[in-house]
Amino acid sequence: MMDIANKIKEIAKKLLESGEIDVFIAWEKGNFDYQTRPFFARTADDVEKIVFDEYSVHNLANFLLKYRDGKEKIGLVVKGCDSRGIVRLLEDSQFQRDRLYIVGVCCPGMKDPLQTMKDNSGLNKNPAADSLAAKCKSCIQPNPVIYDELLGEQQNPGIEGERFARVREIENMDAGERYQFFAGVLSQCIRCYACRQVCVACNCRTCIFDETRPQWVGRETSIEDNMMYHLVRASHMAGRCIECGECERVCPVNIPLMLINQKLVKDVSELYGPYEAGMEYIEGAKPPLSTYKENDPDDFI
Amino acid sequence: MKVLSKDKLETVFNRLAQESDVYVPMQRGEQSGFFSFLTYDAARDEIALDILNTYLPPKNIILPQTEKMYSFRQEGTKVNIEEVYEDSQPKIIFGIRGCDAKAVECLDMVFLTRGYEDSFYKSRRENTVIIANACYAPGPNCFCESMGIDPVNPRPADVIIRDTGNGTLVWEAASDKGKKISDQISEFLEEKDVKLPEAKQCQRQVAYDGVAEKLRDMFASPVWDKLSEPCQNCGICTYLCPTCYCFDIQVKSWGEEGYRFRCWDSCMYREYTQMAGGHNPRETGTERFRNRFLHKLEFFKERYGTSLCTGCGRCIIACPVGIDITNIVDLIKEVDAGA
Repeated sequence: MMDIANKIKEIAKKLLESGEIDVFIAWEKGNFDYQTRPFFARTADDVEKIVFDEYSVHNLANFLLKYRDGKEKIGLVVKGCDSRGIVRLLEDSQFQRDRLYIVGVCCPGMKDPLQTMKDNSGLNKNPAADSLAAKCKSCIQPNPVIYDELLGEQQNPGIEGERFARVREIENMDAGERYQFFAGVLSQCIRCYACRQVCVACNCRTCIFDETRPQWVGRETSIEDNMMYHLVRASHMAGRCIECGECERVCPVNIPLMLINQKLVKDVSELYGPYEAGMEYIEGAKPPLSTYKENDPDDFI
Repeated sequence: MKVLSKDKLETVFNRLAQESDVYVPMQRGEQSGFFSFLTYDAARDEIALDILNTYLPPKNIILPQTEKMYSFRQEGTKVNIEEVYEDSQPKIIFGIRGCDAKAVECLDMVFLTRGYEDSFYKSRRENTVIIANACYAPGPNCFCESMGIDPVNPRPADVIIRDTGNGTLVWEAASDKGKKISDQISEFLEEKDVKLPEAKQCQRQVAYDGVAEKLRDMFASPVWDKLSEPCQNCGICTYLCPTCYCFDIQVKSWGEEGYRFRCWDSCMYREYTQMAGGHNPRETGTERFRNRFLHKLEFFKERYGTSLCTGCGRCIIACPVGIDITNIVDLIKEVDAGA
């Protein structure tokens, strides 16, 4: 990984010095060995701070939304899942390809600095062992699908076990059990909207949940309002979620959000596919629910 | 010294729960928080007085995330208030740390002083007893001492408990309310001399002196662009903060009836400052980020004489992108205010 980090620095330095890009998005070290965090380099001096290590878990593609209205050219590092996020933004016309310099890294799987921070905080009675991030254990695409330069050796997907096993478990519950399950996990929600904020597919300029006239979803942390929030968000993800798992990773109250997203990944693929979101960028291509065909299935409506 | 054996804790909670809703630090699933002892389920929960602090702050006990205020019904051109939901149920917060106790004091300043008393808050607060747990071994993200807190002498507190590390808690009544609670459980308290642990200092120190004053000239500083760049404007820091008190008042109605409620709100959200005419004074994430830190470190100190950060470290632990308020204070100290 040192090798990759050095190459990233080399590339970033070259791009910034030549003026080819204005900012390079990568990672830096925080206050602990296990704290790696997003970093924005603008000068060759900044580049010295860049790291790439076993904790470089964040999907940096999301940060492009901060620059979507500008003209800056941006370099950034993406892993397999993150690169699908770039495809998401391009398909959604949120960014121009020619404003990007994409450094792809084949990803061996990452640890989660956020989880490690929590485990070492003293605020958790039963800290977990410092291991691979949960999201990396359901990874189907470790190698970048779009890039200008590719680093590292091709990796095998980190997925453990059958892909939709947990989704099937929930599908097999009866309606009452299923309601109880979701009422249990969603009642924990504190409505911090971190799941939305870290999501590349959540790129609406004004989110439905921020609308006030009319206010589509109530602001109480009641089970009704919480469910409305999560189910509406999930349905907006159908066919669009690129499974980077960031929503579930950052959730401060451990809601299994990827379970909901994966159900939709599975359904969209079964109904309209086979389809996997953001696996390649073809100009003009759209996800299944962003287009209309006369023979689209509609018997579930 | 009055001493309470830890193996009697559950009995004590049961006794106190006869008159009060007792909030106890528990590990519930992957979160620790202060949960009502009435909801304690030994199969699921672990009582966690021995952890450094709870991940979820105790503020929702006196400032619930969602709080019904009153219900109404419209009759013709008149609106009748049907019910006002003031909460006067006696509550005990058992085992709050110094940082969170100080946070309660900050909330008191907001809701009870400066010529305005919030009756909903007041009713809850007056009926709440604080049993504070002295902190002898701060954690890797604690910096309460730098924010003017003495972790071994938590304030405000009605009772102070001190964990000896040998299965006992020293019990010190610190107010009349505290004495009443001590009387309620007197049969469990024994007179005994015990040795207290040696207090460790916070590993983290932050030089907050002079920061509030310096920030007065830094509203337009470009430093905020740089500091806020990684921030994704979620509300984790504000909702896990023991002092962030911003709220919204909203209404739900159907037909002729409805109710008004208060709910937490966050300066991280764009909607928070969205004005009726369409203008938003904090349109960008940078402006919202700046507001949070100015409120914590400057505005609150100017108005109430103390910082709105108590050094609990929760925002540092839970921020998805590793934003660290102590790094921000350090940087503010370093930079040229005009630059």
